[in-house]
Amino acid sequence: MKNILVIDDAATVRMYHCNILIEAGYHTEEAINGIEALEKALTTHFDLYIVDINMPKMDGYGFLKEVRSQKDINQVPAIMVSTESASNDQVLAYSAGANLYLVKPVRPNDLLSYTRLLLGEGA
Amino acid sequence: MAFIKQTAPQVVNEDERTASRDFDGLCAELNNENQTARRWAARDLVQFSQASAPLVARLKIEAHPNVRTAILDTLAQIGDEQAITGIVECLRSDEASLRNEAIEVLKNIPEQVAPIIDSLLNDSDSDVRIFAVNILESLHHEDVEKWLIQVIEQDEHVNVCATAVDLLSEVGTELSLNALEHLKIRFADEPYICFSVELALKRIGQGDR
Amino acid sequence: MSDITISEDDFAKFREFFYRKTGIQFDNSKRYFVDKRLVERIEETDSKTFRGYFVKLRFESSGDELQKLVNLMTVNETYFFREEYQFKCLVNSILPAITKAKTDNSPIRIWSVPSSSGEEPYSIAIYLLEYWRDIENYDVEIISSDIDTQIISQAQKGHYSPRSVQNLPDKILTKYFNYKNGGYQICEDLRQAVEFTRVNIMNPLEVRSYRNIDVIFCRNLLIYFDDISRRQAAEVFFDAMKTGGFVCLGHSESMSRISSLFKVQKFPEAIVYQKPVEDR
Repeated sequence: MKNILVIDDAATVRMYHCNILIEAGYHTEEAINGIEALEKALTTHFDLYIVDINMPKMDGYGFLKEVRSQKDINQVPAIMVSTESASNDQVLAYSAGANLYLVKPVRPNDLLSYTRLLLGEGA
Repeated sequence: MAFIKQTAPQVVNEDERTASRDFDGLCAELNNENQTARRWAARDLVQFSQASAPLVARLKIEAHPNVRTAILDTLAQIGDEQAITGIVECLRSDEASLRNEAIEVLKNIPEQVAPIIDSLLNDSDSDVRIFAVNILESLHHEDVEKWLIQVIEQDEHVNVCATAVDLLSEVGTELSLNALEHLKIRFADEPYICFSVELALKRIGQGDR
Repeated sequence: MSDITISEDDFAKFREFFYRKTGIQFDNSKRYFVDKRLVERIEETDSKTFRGYFVKLRFESSGDELQKLVNLMTVNETYFFREEYQFKCLVNSILPAITKAKTDNSPIRIWSVPSSSGEEPYSIAIYLLEYWRDIENYDVEIISSDIDTQIISQAQKGHYSPRSVQNLPDKILTKYFNYKNGGYQICEDLRQAVEFTRVNIMNPLEVRSYRNIDVIFCRNLLIYFDDISRRQAAEVFFDAMKTGGFVCLGHSESMSRISSLFKVQKFPEAIVYQKPVEDR
């Protein structure tokens, strides 16, 4: 079963994303900010990260930059999710190492089709 | 055995504390090229109530996250109007890390933040309104629920409301029930809002039994 | 018997709050354990219902109630070789990284805080002597501090119950301890090896003289602090350390709830936190 790390400081958002993914047959784990996410990413295998931008202690950009600099995990794909639709944030997200970008609030079908795409499972 | 005990006290040898520690000396140190020196200066300035202006000025150009954190912490401790305004300005920054640091710092000074919550919740920038709701999370203040209800009744931006609902599922009481029901109708085509409102209603409802 | 009940949604609400504050996550299998302790605190605080208690817990600015709850939810017991994987990490990964980066012959400084009754600093000393092959090549200073002078003098005496040493291999027990008055007395050499000091880490003046530290062990302390105090403690450690130095926290603690000053470093034995090398 593919394992997905859902990173967001809002408990409801984590639960929402996890529910969608679990119903579609994925296994999920959660992290509350970039530091906790990095600790989990370094000790558990994940096939995909779903990352919020604004979080305390370490934001989504900081997390992705760390991930992309660590040789064991730098190939793991990431979807960045944020409330901000400004184009600048998308640019920053991609330059930090995101593979795809979604604007909140996320629709279940979008999350699933992006997930399948990045996991190479077809749309 | 290779264990030893310290024979002489550790010298605080680093250059960062050699400069004069009076107000003018510390302000000058805020522009030192060594980031550790700047961080120490920002911290030591906490004893000067007139330090807000130079700290806010430095904050605008400071690039090192650790120095920024020290400046924000000191501004929060000074807590005068100028200091708070300086921290709040960071909520508008393009840099996510600075915005989030500012939110964390504001969460810890409820007395100083409470008077400006109304204006933050009415800011024209929806992101600032979201951050204002984030600040409410840790604010030990009796009006938190009232503010959150106001947000979900009035704010037009779905993500501002979404952030408020997340918090209401933790702090909400029966006072929030009507507003939550209305929100679900207002954003009936948003699956996330429906999900989060259902969750909040369930969490609040259970508490009444 | 108490008639206070914790509903499933109460549990979920509490679980999320506690996780956000401490990083400790309870799954449903811990339900009974958590409920029992919550009910205990609800009764003790005369809160009557979960809701009343949760409001107190959440909005109390002193954070005292949260601290009491953390105490109940975690095992706060100290004994020799507790969380041994971190001592393994120290000798197999941390110290090799430090000696590799070393440019002078200054001693390696290890700070264990809080000292409590001494099990942790003495465990470090024993571990270095037994398992670190470079012990003959470097001078090592072990400093251990606590806020409580009474516990420090207990640590200096170094007399322990059988329970406290039960994790130690016999070989180590006979080598470093003497059986005395129904307990175990740590040998004079080791007592001399650790420097015990009294310090309040939250007082900037008292910590000024703690500098150039290579490794800090601060396990199961910061989890009891409120958000601001945690941040301040992290600053104190940051300033006390050499660049490239490491902080080890307790197994249920994470820097993700404390500070962004340090870099997450994964070693085979453990996750630890490093003061970034480029930071000067």
